[in-house]
Amino acid sequence: MTGAARTSRPGLWGGLMIGTAAVILALKSSGAINGPTAYILTIIPIAFMFVTARSLASARNPACGPAGNRAARRYTMGMMATSIAYMLGLGIAIWTFNNLEPSVTVTWGLAMLPIAPILAMIYVMGRYIVEEQDEYLRHRAIIASLIGLGFVLAIGSFWGFLETFELVPHVPGWWAVPIWAMGMGLGQAWQSMGQKMDSSDEE
Amino acid sequence: MKNRLKVLRAERNWSQQALADELGVSRQSVNAIETGRYDPSLPLAFQIAEVFDLAIEEIFLRD
Repeated sequence: MTGAARTSRPGLWGGLMIGTAAVILALKSSGAINGPTAYILTIIPIAFMFVTARSLASARNPACGPAGNRAARRYTMGMMATSIAYMLGLGIAIWTFNNLEPSVTVTWGLAMLPIAPILAMIYVMGRYIVEEQDEYLRHRAIIASLIGLGFVLAIGSFWGFLETFELVPHVPGWWAVPIWAMGMGLGQAWQSMGQKMDSSDEE
Repeated sequence: MKNRLKVLRAERNWSQQALADELGVSRQSVNAIETGRYDPSLPLAFQIAEVFDLAIEEIFLRD
């Protein structure tokens, strides 16, 4: 089995994405977690979406060269590590904040626990773009990132003005990264569809 | 930019994967270049020309 094959498991990552989203929805529906917690937890399926999008590209790309494989492998591992760090950091921060009445200084530190892995996720994405040796796959990743950025700017401006005129409730700023990730996933899917339609080859 | 990649590949009876392996890129890249969805960089265009033992302008044509 090649390195690419080992890291290309879109079914597994897609299943984890849907599975974690279903668990969060079930927890929210049953009242086990409140709304804000459910929203924060959506970062987990979103992180799996990052990995699914990457592995979809790798699955169609069994021979993208050793450097390309290494970049994809580092991306997958980086996203997994930061997602786990996010889950742990968020859990510790919420539990401590709700149960131990921390001081303002400690609360600053607690807020950093989920923030640091999010920043690390963004770094992992950037590093993939820098390290990917296959120029077409790099081009696709950049286009997908720009589509994600377009979503953030469009939805942020749209919602922001509605909020200014008190037409919609306030939405926390951390939604920027999940919206960016969703836009990026859609960007990758759109490019894959286009390639499939144009595809004229023998596998 | 138009190109004759598919024809040249067919003449040599090479699959997209074989050409991709030769160039050290993904099969997706070869497919995207062949279908005109992506114009390769100058270094990759030179590499393609080298693989086919042709000049760049014999492979890539102006629209």
